[in-house]
Amino acid sequence: MANENEKLSVWTSISFWRRSAAWVTGFAVILLIWLTFNTMGQISMGTDADLKKAAQEHRVVSRVPGPTVINYHIDYKMSKKRGHEVPVIGAKEPFFGKEWSEKEAAALLHLGKLTSQAKNCMNCHTLLGNGAYYAPDLTKAWLDPAWQKGGPMQAMTNTNTTEEAMAKFLQNPSQYPTHARMMPNLGITEEEAKGLVAFLKHMSSIDTNGFPRNFSKTVEQFKTGGTNAH
Amino acid sequence: MLTSIKTNEFAGSESKKLAMMYFRVAIILFGAQLLMGLIAAIQFLAPNFLFEVFDFSVARMVHINALVVWMLYAMIGSVYYLLPDEAGVETVGIGLGKLAFWVLTAAVAVVVLVYIFIQVGPGKESTIWLINEGREYIEAPRWADIGIVVVVLIFYWNVFATYMKGQKTGILTVLVADLLALAGLYLAGMFFTDNISMDQYWWWWVIHLWVEATWEVFVGALAAYGLVKIINAKREIVEMWLWIEVLMLFGSGILGLGHHYFWIGTPEYWWEIGALFSALEPVPLVAMFVHVLYDWGKEQGIAKAEGKPGSVMKNGPAMAWIVTNAFGNFLGAGIWGFFHTLPQVNIYTHGTQFTAAHGHLAFFGAYATILIGMMYLGVQGAYGIERMKATFKSKMAIFLITFGVIGMTIALTIAGYEQVLVERAELGAGWNAFFVAQDLPWYVQAQIWRTIMGVVTFVGFIYLVWDLLTIGKKEAKAAA
Amino acid sequence: MFEQFTDVVPSFFGYLNQGPLTLTIFLHTVIILPMIWIYFDEKKKLKNGK
Ligand code: HEM
Ligand code: HEM
Ligand SMILES: [Fe+2]
Repeated sequence: MANENEKLSVWTSISFWRRSAAWVTGFAVILLIWLTFNTMGQISMGTDADLKKAAQEHRVVSRVPGPTVINYHIDYKMSKKRGHEVPVIGAKEPFFGKEWSEKEAAALLHLGKLTSQAKNCMNCHTLLGNGAYYAPDLTKAWLDPAWQKGGPMQAMTNTNTTEEAMAKFLQNPSQYPTHARMMPNLGITEEEAKGLVAFLKHMSSIDTNGFPRNFSKTVEQFKTGGTNAH
Repeated sequence: MLTSIKTNEFAGSESKKLAMMYFRVAIILFGAQLLMGLIAAIQFLAPNFLFEVFDFSVARMVHINALVVWMLYAMIGSVYYLLPDEAGVETVGIGLGKLAFWVLTAAVAVVVLVYIFIQVGPGKESTIWLINEGREYIEAPRWADIGIVVVVLIFYWNVFATYMKGQKTGILTVLVADLLALAGLYLAGMFFTDNISMDQYWWWWVIHLWVEATWEVFVGALAAYGLVKIINAKREIVEMWLWIEVLMLFGSGILGLGHHYFWIGTPEYWWEIGALFSALEPVPLVAMFVHVLYDWGKEQGIAKAEGKPGSVMKNGPAMAWIVTNAFGNFLGAGIWGFFHTLPQVNIYTHGTQFTAAHGHLAFFGAYATILIGMMYLGVQGAYGIERMKATFKSKMAIFLITFGVIGMTIALTIAGYEQVLVERAELGAGWNAFFVAQDLPWYVQAQIWRTIMGVVTFVGFIYLVWDLLTIGKKEAKAAA
Repeated sequence: MFEQFTDVVPSFFGYLNQGPLTLTIFLHTVIILPMIWIYFDEKKKLKNGK
């Protein structure tokens, strides 16, 4: 009797669980592939035309803008509609003293991304929040008040723009320490440094759904004189 | 363990000998991993330590690469070990398997030497091909990637051909399918793109779909094998559980991938997908935990009822590590993972010491434990002994390593908490906020405790090696 | 009742994402429902079989 009942219970049937496992796994994979196609479409780099539109409308029209975003002013502002901060594309501004053509900008970004991997940035810093936790997150480093006009980094490196301050720092980081924990000299050349700055500026324009949250607080605190740089 | 190769045991199975070769390299790399972790931990406290000689980035890269590689070695070893038992026939291509072992080991040695002595290269394609790829966990340069693919293909062919030739148990069926996915996923990490969002998108395919899908299923299969082997658990029941685990692990883990797509430029709809699917990931881990303890209790009960005195356990240390695995997997992956898996929490904890706390307990609890357990099974098999009891050294090893890792995890959790509240919530992230939080006394104290607990872990590791080298020798002699 | 998605770029999944958990509950349901069919199919087999 007991034996009979046991055989009739689907819950202890291997074949039920095997078929269910196959179905659930198969379907989850299909959904993931579909979602991936959808996401790929949304995170491919935008075009120069997208950027012109974004600059006119003061918002971002593609989640990951094209390389020529380095020719524009970038901001990170609270959006009421979305409930978090979003990048905002502003007016044009020179980058290392000039406007970069589509081709030049793409080449520079390529050099920068490649250098970021060759120098292993990710094993001290986080990029988009992923990586190591020994040094500050670089997602919005380009927008960080420490590097802006009036900030400690431009004064320390004796430069007048964010890009120059960053490039100079990157070539000789241990000469411009901000903390006992210093960035080591990684043999970054002048060209590579420019590429890296382009990479950082580009990354700051990516729509990260509000990460890091409250970044503007850092800006406010900085304006009232709070800073850790010695 | 080292002498086992000469004792020519295993009832002549070459596959098991090959397994021991993999285990030996694995344990050496585990040691290297811990040493590198200690260097990196000291650098948090004394940033001048080895500055511009052996920087944090280098120590950390070797730390986590050694971690991934030793686990892959131990996983391959485990498969070669259980294959003849499960299939009922000897592994088909042992010669090729040995060749692959030596090729892989030579490649790993070259990669590590380059990491340590060359460290970084110029911003050119050649660096990515020859020195390092600069992508966390999968830094291995492209030439090595290709080598790894070839070696893995050989390994997979061996497993597949043996499976086709021998008995097709449920455990083997799951393993064969799972290994194919595991190996295939590596390809997703083998390309370069200028687009950092795209880069991270595919990078997580490798990392997440490994540790939270394919590796977990692998562990489910290992635990099933271990239970049958060590306490004579009933195969039908173990295999039914295995299919339930596959269902739940893949059902939650595959789309749970979304919890890494909250902030990398990917659309907002991932918030919901990532949140709810990954929130279910702990469920199978609870199930696995219950399963292991339940079976153990049941088999012991049956033995008692049948009037057999003593423990049903044929391998004390292996079983102890498998039980630790059941706990650790549930705690490290299940609880610590769930802590930060909802976007509402993750927006603050993303990329803090909190993540590191989870990473340590999860990798240790879910993988290190059971793989060490497999090594003990290997030793038992090598000496051909019926029953292997835990020694004082086995107990010190498991106690100190587990205590050390839990200690590190608690310390890092506290550090992470500080960091989340001060750097992220109070100061709103950014360069200055980061360093203010790093200097907080409570944060620094947590880093000190992490380092102390790291040393405890390392002492436990020494006991572990000592034990693996000596355990079972006496029994083997007595039997001979 | 149906809102425009808040996301930047319109998409199918963006439309399903209508606030509290709509998208994820939909996907979970689609995955689990066929298991009910598998259940009854297995039950039938068990009855007819041995
Ligand atoms: C002697 C013991 C150990 C010490 C001192 C140590 C130290 C460290 C340090 C300093 C980091 C870098 C964290 C950061 O970027 O801020 C790290 C990362 C990591 N370690 Fe360890 N570790 C030890 C043992 C282990 C063990 C036993 C495992 C796993 C089995 C492990 C797995 C990891 C992982 C996965 C990461 C990357 C974490 C992440 O990115 O979130 N470590 N470890
Ligand atoms: C054995 C299984 C697991 C292992 C080995 C593991 C390991 C890791 C590691 C090493 C990281 C850090 C990656 C990095 O360096 O950036 C990570 C991140 C993460 N894990 Fe797991 N994990 C496991 C299971 C889980 C589970 C079951 C959950 C959820 C319930 C989970 C949730 C997360 C989340 C949300 C993050 C992202 C953290 C962040 O935003 O910084 N993990 N995991
Ligand atoms: Fe994950």
